[in-house]
Amino acid sequence: MILLGEFALWVALPVSIWGIVLAFVGGHRKRGDLVLSAERSVYAVFFLLCLTSLGIILAFVGEHYEYRYVWGYSSRELETYFKVTGLWAGQRGSLVFWVLLLALFSSIAVFQNRRRNREFMPSVVGVLLTITAFFLGVLLFADVNPFERLPFPMPNGQGLNPQLQNYWMTIHPPTLYLGFTSFSVPFAFGVAALITGKTDSRWLVVTRRWTLLSWFFLTNGIIFGMRWAYEELGWGGYWFWDPVENASLLPWLTATAFLHSVMIQEHRGMLKMWNLSLVSLTFLLTIFATFLTRSGLIESVHSFAQNTRIAYIFLAFLGAATMACLLLILWRKDDLRAERTIESFLSRESAFLMNNLILLGSAFAVLWGTLFPLISEGVAGTKVAVGPAFFNRVNIPIGLVLLALTGIGPVIAWRKATRRNLERNFVSPLLMAAAVVAGLMIAGMRGFYALATFAICGFVLTILVNEFWKGTRARARIEGEGLGRAFLHLIARNRRRWGGYIVHVGIVLMFAGFAGASFHTETDQSVEPGDQIRAASPYGHEYVLTYQGLSSSRTPNMWQWVALLDVSRDGRRLGTITAEQRIYSTADQPIREVGIRSTPLEDVYVILAGVEDFEGAVLNESSAQGAVFQVLVRPLVGWLWYGGLVITLGSLIALWPGAGGPARRKVQATPASARLAKV
Amino acid sequence: MILLGAVLVAAAVVLYVVQPVFSGEKAPLVSLDEEFTEAEARRHLSLVALRDVEYDFATGKIDERDYRRLRDELAREALDALHEVRRSREQTESAPTAQDTLADDLEQEIAAYRAALRAGTMCDRCGSPNPAEALFCAACGIRLESERGEEAAPAAQG
Repeated sequence: MILLGEFALWVALPVSIWGIVLAFVGGHRKRGDLVLSAERSVYAVFFLLCLTSLGIILAFVGEHYEYRYVWGYSSRELETYFKVTGLWAGQRGSLVFWVLLLALFSSIAVFQNRRRNREFMPSVVGVLLTITAFFLGVLLFADVNPFERLPFPMPNGQGLNPQLQNYWMTIHPPTLYLGFTSFSVPFAFGVAALITGKTDSRWLVVTRRWTLLSWFFLTNGIIFGMRWAYEELGWGGYWFWDPVENASLLPWLTATAFLHSVMIQEHRGMLKMWNLSLVSLTFLLTIFATFLTRSGLIESVHSFAQNTRIAYIFLAFLGAATMACLLLILWRKDDLRAERTIESFLSRESAFLMNNLILLGSAFAVLWGTLFPLISEGVAGTKVAVGPAFFNRVNIPIGLVLLALTGIGPVIAWRKATRRNLERNFVSPLLMAAAVVAGLMIAGMRGFYALATFAICGFVLTILVNEFWKGTRARARIEGEGLGRAFLHLIARNRRRWGGYIVHVGIVLMFAGFAGASFHTETDQSVEPGDQIRAASPYGHEYVLTYQGLSSSRTPNMWQWVALLDVSRDGRRLGTITAEQRIYSTADQPIREVGIRSTPLEDVYVILAGVEDFEGAVLNESSAQGAVFQVLVRPLVGWLWYGGLVITLGSLIALWPGAGGPARRKVQATPASARLAKV
Repeated sequence: MILLGAVLVAAAVVLYVVQPVFSGEKAPLVSLDEEFTEAEARRHLSLVALRDVEYDFATGKIDERDYRRLRDELAREALDALHEVRRSREQTESAPTAQDTLADDLEQEIAAYRAALRAGTMCDRCGSPNPAEALFCAACGIRLESERGEEAAPAAQG
């Protein structure tokens, strides 16, 4: 079965190349038989890649340490669960996983459109299979074949990086990959629109739900990654502006811009070139993100690859794809002219445009900061590190403006808002913002950015609550429904709008969580059993952690020290917290397993930073119990995860299948339908 | 055994993929599902945009003057589209329609759209509004039941 998987990988490449050639030739010569054969190649490649993935999983589960990849990312001691997830634990397997997901989404797209949007399909199939073939080529010819054998079989594997042996880590990469790969579908439709010259809004309408789906996965992937960093990396934070974190943020920023700008084209027939550029840019950034994670070009906690050949291949593909997109857009530039101009600065279109420019500005700043070390090394010969300070300085103000726009956008009417009404609608949100600032300052809070963030959060929340209230009231009045019913119907009948507003609420909650970071406190202390650590909370109260002692134990693949602490707040006992250090047999560095006590107001985050007498501790000697702790009190961290849940809820509402959501497919394909978007 | 499996997989894949080229079986190159004509799509989007303007007015985002201006503008666009739809239907059905009834027709049509959107009986296939109790689309005959309780997703929404 494993050999069959390897064989399937080799068959998949010629099949996809066959499909590419037939799709483009069949599309050009109007040959339905060739197009059908190309579409079948898509299904066939998916089938073959299922065999390949199954082969890899079986190699892991069956402990076949003659394969370099299995040997590098598994060991006999590893739980079966982590052996299965070995498919995406390392570079080689994750490339297979990437292309498997791409083949899955390609197959879904082809199946969905077997009767509809046929004019686009030859090019769509051609583009999707080209991406597939590129990844297959990389797998087979860039020294990253997952089935590569070692010179002689090993008795046991090297084991999986302990930091990857974590629940969040098993779902974080697949979720991100789902986001990356599913974005290939809107991209393929965008390119198909350019190739066929059907650049009206139809390709947007077709791919609206795909874009939302991809955004949904990207968002969750990023939040899962934050959660993993917070729980597993053991430094108390969730975002370090690490190159790979940035790489996942980049396509998110441009995809968010795209989600908003498509609505301008749908409503007003503007920004066609902009939308095609954004969809191309987002796709290129998903490839770039995969490349950064998996090439090892930039130092990062995530990078496991040292192979430079693959880096050049990826760069060449990125370069070629960028050129192709640019040439296509230039070729069609006459068709891409706007049908209208913005009527008024006070309109939703101009708010969307603003949001786009800001998101792009932020993406550019992040890209620049990520690549700067490389550029400086290439130009000046020294690698200059760009730390979180740079990213924070640039992105905090940008983020705050964006946050404000999540509230301002929904209040402004399309085309032209009435200035007086707009001013009136801003009165209560502004009062709320002022009240928030006043209240927080009286409570003793200082710090410009934190106050500004909370003020804007108050402002936006007031607007959004108002929107829901006014919408419900208007519906109740017009339809004669009760308020509860009107509220549900309001959301159900226009899920994209109201789902979107719910996402905005989630964003507000997350920003409140970000602002909390500016108030965290840290206490470092070396203690013996019975000693107390006093950790001040920014809210003014004090946590007392009483160190109970240390116990060490051994499992097949690690040594483990568990420290027990009693927690009390203002004299009231709250419970216990454990913090651990582990030394895995497969890793030299000790791993910290932090203890977290989470409440909506704040988290108490305990790190066992060191054990004073390792050897004594191993023997569980009573005299060797001294330990060093870092105790962090982190306000409002929980709001990140609550915000994430609200975002998930909102995007699911917007995504929910059936009418009322984003898909409305019946838009005619005649050239004159370019005027469609007028309204 | 493994060799046999490999040969079987390869043969199956190649046969499946190559078969249309020899048998002449074809994938459609134009869409099979019926779609809006350009005029119908414009009419539909105008009416939906009208609804958005009414929502903006009902929730106090625009004042009465702007509301009237936008509404008139959109109604004109919808009327133009309706003219065109009628013209193309006349060509196929040769049923003459008096020009001066068009404005009334539009009012009726807007009302019908509103009712259909509310009842979830707007046809997903041809976009025609249907009475609240309709099970099948009066214009194209497709079954409406699956769309019950759901709005036939207007595109022009923010």
